[in-house]
Amino acid sequence: MEAEGLEIIRAENLVKRFGKLTAVDGLDLSVRKGEVYGFLGPNGAGKTTTVRMLTTMELPDEGRVWIDGFDTRTQYIQARRCVGVIQQQNSLDKDLTVKENIMHHALMKNLSFKESKERMKELGDMMELGDRMGTKVETLSGGWKKRVAIVCSLIHNPDILFMDEPTTGLDTQSRNMLWKMIRGINKSGTTVFLTTHYIFEAESLCNRVGIINNGKLIAEGTPSELKERVGKFALVAIDPEGNENIQYFKDSDSAKQASLEIPPDHTISIRRTNLEDVFLELTGRKI
Amino acid sequence: MHNIPSEIFRVAYGDLCYMKHNLVQTLVSTLVGPLLYLLAFGYGMRAGDTEYIAYVIPGIIAISSMNSGFSSSSQKIVIQRLFHSSFDELILCPMHTSSVIFGKCLMGIIRGFVGGLIILGLGMLLTPGLYLTVWLLLAMLISSIMFSLLGVAAGLLANSTPTLMMFNSIIILPMSFMCGTLFDVSALPPVVSAIVWALPLSHTTAIMRATADCLPVDYLSVAVILIYIVAFYSICHIVIRKKLY
Repeated sequence: MEAEGLEIIRAENLVKRFGKLTAVDGLDLSVRKGEVYGFLGPNGAGKTTTVRMLTTMELPDEGRVWIDGFDTRTQYIQARRCVGVIQQQNSLDKDLTVKENIMHHALMKNLSFKESKERMKELGDMMELGDRMGTKVETLSGGWKKRVAIVCSLIHNPDILFMDEPTTGLDTQSRNMLWKMIRGINKSGTTVFLTTHYIFEAESLCNRVGIINNGKLIAEGTPSELKERVGKFALVAIDPEGNENIQYFKDSDSAKQASLEIPPDHTISIRRTNLEDVFLELTGRKI
Repeated sequence: MHNIPSEIFRVAYGDLCYMKHNLVQTLVSTLVGPLLYLLAFGYGMRAGDTEYIAYVIPGIIAISSMNSGFSSSSQKIVIQRLFHSSFDELILCPMHTSSVIFGKCLMGIIRGFVGGLIILGLGMLLTPGLYLTVWLLLAMLISSIMFSLLGVAAGLLANSTPTLMMFNSIIILPMSFMCGTLFDVSALPPVVSAIVWALPLSHTTAIMRATADCLPVDYLSVAVILIYIVAFYSICHIVIRKKLY
């Protein structure tokens, strides 16, 4: 991609407090144009609050954000033109039809009626919404609502698409379909910022991953880089009481060698490490 | 450069679609209250006294524009903010804050104005003492705008539906009865009368009654209404810009 590598999202020392709780605590971020950036962390880690600050829905208590070079405090209208957002909770108007929802989003993004209709046709075809255009949103399944939300968020052809836990609550089929769509959207040049607490989702979709815990960014890199920091292989030993112990190794031979020293009443397995291991190693707990 | 009228329509598009889907329900809910007031006070208590009907109809129009304007704006915003999260989509729009505020008012303004027009039409059939003047239409429009703005402010500030209902019970409902809509405020004790005169509905009622009777309008009432409009708009603006909702 021509412009790949240029910074499109930059955040410096972001802080957000809700009463005594510090939801986001001195977060620095840099996302490059054209990448799929995964923001991985457990529930309550500060992912949604970060997305809300990056997309101008929430003002940070401290720190600054630039979206495609626009300062979100002073140039929020320009910044908003660059972003599309799919919120964790479905934000469609349930009383309206699919077509009305899409048209409303298009109009709110300042598209003309003609442009709105053209984009609606184009994206509706892409998401196969054809015969559901006249259906009320409240009657659609979760997967179809998500498709409508994607069309609404892409209607103004944004440079960056923020997706907050997009596959939460979806069945396997809908999730696979959504992953395919995300890859397609990114291939067409849109930068994707995706929050998730699903390890496999972050590993299979994202070029780079930032891991957040208690409002702080605790690690960042490509999935391979992050896993290599821990060790490529994990030796998992479970004792007769069911307690699990995991050790990490740079290669499988070292893991095999170490397994010989484990008592025979333990259940042993050797596997490749994943981002869950990275999180466990960094925080001492699972996602 | 913002095209504010166009942006207001864009913001209101969803609400207008909603109104189109629920036209009959919207109209019925707008008219039931005012018609009950007319029946209970105009016919039940005064046995069809045409002079009193001519007196009370501007008050009922004022109540109608307040209730419709306030409830349409406030309820929709509370639902969109607290239950559908769709209000955030508005905040994400590259639009001027005033477009968002007046866009969210538009349904309330239309409901308040149309409801008032129907009551006025009915009143003109029932009594010869009412006149349809440009000033009366303007007063109805300004009243609808003011109470829709109050509805947007309340909808932005309410943190639950019971809070909004409480606001309705302690502010809107007492105003309906106390602000000179059904009787002359001067009949009240002086202290109560002074409090009532500080409330916005007293002034919209006074202006509507004067314009419907082709009498001169008290400019103090016009000034009070304008001050309220600026105050309600400012609250909405601050809440949205500071993301305090």
